[in-house]
Amino acid sequence: MKILPRKTDAAPEAPNVHQTPLWSFRPRSDRESGDAVVSNFLLHWFPAKALKPSMNWSYSFWLGTASAALFLLLILSGLPLMFLYVPSVERAYASIKDVEYVITFGSWLRSIHRLSAHLMVVAVVLHLARVFLTGAYKNGTGRGQRREWNWLLGVVMLLATLFLSFTGYLLPWDQLAFWAVTVGTNIAASIPWVGPSIRELLIGGRVIEQPTLIRFYALHVFVLPGLLGALFVYHMWRIRKDGGLAGADREALLAARAEVEPTPTKTYTLLGVARGTAPTIRATTLEAPHRTVNAVPDLIRRAAIVSIGCIALLSMLAVMLRSPLEEAANPMITPNPAKAPWYFLWLQEIVTDTTLHIGSFTINGAFIGGVILPGILVTLLAFWPWLDRSPAGATGVWFPAERRTQNAVFLVLLVLVLLLTVVGTFLRGPYWDFYWPWQAWPAIPGRI
Amino acid sequence: MSEPTNRREFLVTMGIAAGCAGLVAQGAASLRSLVPNVSYDAPTTVKLGPPGEFPDGLKYLPEQRLFVFREGNTYHAISATCTHLGCTVRAEALSQPQSVSVGGKPMRVTHRFLCPCHGSKYEGDGTNVAGPAPKPLAWYHLEIAPDDGQLVVDLAREVGHDFRLTTA
Repeated sequence: MKILPRKTDAAPEAPNVHQTPLWSFRPRSDRESGDAVVSNFLLHWFPAKALKPSMNWSYSFWLGTASAALFLLLILSGLPLMFLYVPSVERAYASIKDVEYVITFGSWLRSIHRLSAHLMVVAVVLHLARVFLTGAYKNGTGRGQRREWNWLLGVVMLLATLFLSFTGYLLPWDQLAFWAVTVGTNIAASIPWVGPSIRELLIGGRVIEQPTLIRFYALHVFVLPGLLGALFVYHMWRIRKDGGLAGADREALLAARAEVEPTPTKTYTLLGVARGTAPTIRATTLEAPHRTVNAVPDLIRRAAIVSIGCIALLSMLAVMLRSPLEEAANPMITPNPAKAPWYFLWLQEIVTDTTLHIGSFTINGAFIGGVILPGILVTLLAFWPWLDRSPAGATGVWFPAERRTQNAVFLVLLVLVLLLTVVGTFLRGPYWDFYWPWQAWPAIPGRI
Repeated sequence: MSEPTNRREFLVTMGIAAGCAGLVAQGAASLRSLVPNVSYDAPTTVKLGPPGEFPDGLKYLPEQRLFVFREGNTYHAISATCTHLGCTVRAEALSQPQSVSVGGKPMRVTHRFLCPCHGSKYEGDGTNVAGPAPKPLAWYHLEIAPDDGQLVVDLAREVGHDFRLTTA
């Protein structure tokens, strides 16, 4: 029988190793800076050191951080709303009306929630555009990179964001809600053969009623935020595994060519070193003090500026902009014109214009414009990294010459979507007829 | 031919397969619970009131999303649900009523129908003429209730454009 040595409570006798019970936002040394990342739960997903190019405002515009901050704000503002909202067709509208007009700060909370949702769609789309235009979904110099998978995760997160918006604006059970869901679920129903069953599953029956509301509510407050949160964590983890932003990859590529004296850099714990993402010599070169900054405080300072900036901006905007509430849902009368929220208006434009008549055979625009075309767009978007054959040197830089054509096509498509959105928002009047902004809409009786 | 597996490997494979099958079955069962078995929709056969109380011309019944037309003692009913994406179309009175032949029978057309969602346009008999609507508005079967003589619509029974209900 072997006797193990007794453990003692005494501090280990190792030179220059300190056990720090606390960490600091204002570290006095590199070691204290690294200790913060290692010992703080919230900070542990940051690297100990960040490459200077990845901190650049004008490379990433910090759009991913802004999206995450808005998502956080949506959760924070959604929580009190969950205590106030009643997901029942009899009481949903009245409870939102109470939030808007009766409850103290209710309309402010609702405005924060609504505006954050709108801005999150903007931020996520811009983030996607930034990653596409810089080719940041491409693998650069590091080993074991899977950036294309992170792009795919991002596309799914964009869809989750849009579906969160869609499920969210049903909940007030006003006219906008009712007719948006009527149109949205009829688009699903236009799929041949399986469409009607999909619609029935979505709305829990054949008409939009209580089962629809409770389904969309459960999706909106639990399933989709949970999914998005899980994907977000995965997204962040992949960025770390891929060795940071693609812009920093480029730095590694350039640094490898230069002859640099290896410098002693191991001033932080081993956890700060990403395993296998870069050869040792390159890591040494990369981690040279003039190329990096400490994550604490430099990286977290910028993350805080973006996040707190978003929260402050939204908080002020919500004071100035009230959220609209249309008439209570009325299945008998469709508003004229009935418009989707702005980020779906390009789809509303497309389903208007894509009904095909081939001889006596007709294909509903709902299927072509609502399912086929967006399906092709999303599929192309999702799998584009596997189709992009540009060289690794075109990674992590804005508008590289090698990717000029695909960037141009992407921008044309993006501008087309924006144009259709503008047409739908400003140039469509009663009966979805075309009106210039200076043309008055004809007076049409509200009811038949 | 692959290597012959031994008993241990075989049992491990079977165990994993059984676990996967169990997970799939439980997931499918959970999802199946969300498919409704019973529909609590409103009945499709609805009494609309005594035919004599309908005005000559068009009457809109919002509950059924239905236009009922009367021309003397003949009646027909056209759905107000747009065939494109299910919004409720609105009736717009024509400046001049037109006499046309619909389904081989004469008909006085007083309105046309416009959809507020995507701008589909229909003639007075429900024929789609502009916009994204893929097919005409549905015509529904009308009859007189044998018990109390009310006008009855069957929203589950579409009929052709030659359908007219003529009362005595």
